[in-house]
Amino acid sequence: MCKHYLYSILCISTSLCFKPFRCRSLPAQRKYMRSPPIPEMATQEVQLSETLAHLKTESDTLKGKLEEERAKLHDVELHQVAEKVEGLGQFVMKTRRTLKGHGNKVLCMDWCKDKRRIVSSSQDGKVIVWDAFTTNKEHAVTMPCTWVMACAYAPSGCAVACGGLDNKCSVYPLSLDKNENLAAKKKSVAMHTNYLSACSFTNSDMQVRLSRMGEDTCSSFVTALHHFFDLTELFKVFRHVLHDFMSLQGCDKKANVWDMRSGQCIQSFETHESDINSVRYYPSGDAFASGSDDATCRLYDLRADREVAIYSKESIIFGVSSVDFSLSGRLLFGGYNDYTINVWDVLKGTRVSILFGHENRVSTLRVSPDGTAFCTGSWDHTLRTWA
Amino acid sequence: MSGTMCSSNSVVQTQKLVDQLRLEASMERIRISLTAADLIQYCKDHRRSDPLLTGIAASSNPFKDKKTCTLL
Repeated sequence: MCKHYLYSILCISTSLCFKPFRCRSLPAQRKYMRSPPIPEMATQEVQLSETLAHLKTESDTLKGKLEEERAKLHDVELHQVAEKVEGLGQFVMKTRRTLKGHGNKVLCMDWCKDKRRIVSSSQDGKVIVWDAFTTNKEHAVTMPCTWVMACAYAPSGCAVACGGLDNKCSVYPLSLDKNENLAAKKKSVAMHTNYLSACSFTNSDMQVRLSRMGEDTCSSFVTALHHFFDLTELFKVFRHVLHDFMSLQGCDKKANVWDMRSGQCIQSFETHESDINSVRYYPSGDAFASGSDDATCRLYDLRADREVAIYSKESIIFGVSSVDFSLSGRLLFGGYNDYTINVWDVLKGTRVSILFGHENRVSTLRVSPDGTAFCTGSWDHTLRTWA
Repeated sequence: MSGTMCSSNSVVQTQKLVDQLRLEASMERIRISLTAADLIQYCKDHRRSDPLLTGIAASSNPFKDKKTCTLL
């Protein structure tokens, strides 16, 4: 989409550049008129369009060069190198807990660092904190809007952040006192324009990273919770962050890697055939996986700067909404719009298992912090933990 | 005038694109045979600490059902 936007600007400007300038005036006034600045304007426009053409040629050349460089390193496929790795046995994974309580589609979920609590948000406007072992609901907050698209658990476990179409990110401190009105204690950060698409805490409770969807770009900023002011608008887009300074973005068909210190996009990958819905770092940080509407998951190696694996089957035709790795990075879990979860062997590229249970599309999937289970949220209003 | 504004905007945009591409082109890349070997090594090293992969005993996994106790 970003590319189309740029090209459409080029087309518009090109047509404006060459349209002849017409001067309308009454015949009697003509000889008293200053000569219209046609020659200067035309020269300027011609110069600009020449620069534009020159730049365009350079960008095409660079793109070609990038392709060449990447192809040179493609000396072997990942699954070929992985042939000697021992295969995975049979996996028996099933639903261990079903969390029922939301009144509408579950849109997002996050694990608490205590490996036991889960926060989930739904289209019904509710944000619920669950104890995943007992399936009890510990807290429930009703947001003033529906479509709560993002939620996150603070590292200390004492607060949750959430937001969506209300164009705000709200942070609620979690209190053990059930009588306390959580909604009264919330703090909000306004997004100004556009809805909140993702949020996550940094390593401390003090800062939240937020992503908002814009027309062509998404932006994110860090907010100090205690003061509630925008520190700086950092840089464009992300849906997942591993280290403090690197971040991943899925934007239409492109997956980008941003260096948050410089605000630069340092790598960009465009091999998916449709919009990317989820990106997740490989545990070592040297690669990442993406899930897309084109029904494939792909693995991109950051140091080789290219896609190294595609996880797909002809029988899988529905898009992937959410992906996550197991702790060692050997397994990739994908939540699909055909209500299933496919488990892939990351190294060999084969499917290890397919899990059924949800009665509508899987919208969110996260592996627990200690890797003992993973949780999925679905449009069937429930969350399930699998192990 | 507006024609010039639009073209200068698009020139700026294309310049940004070219700068971005130059940055990406200058990146140092490593062969897949080496990076793939690293990915595999990471998997091997962390294999044992991955409960979903190796399947830890039901008694230590809070999500799995414990074996039932029989009364003697």
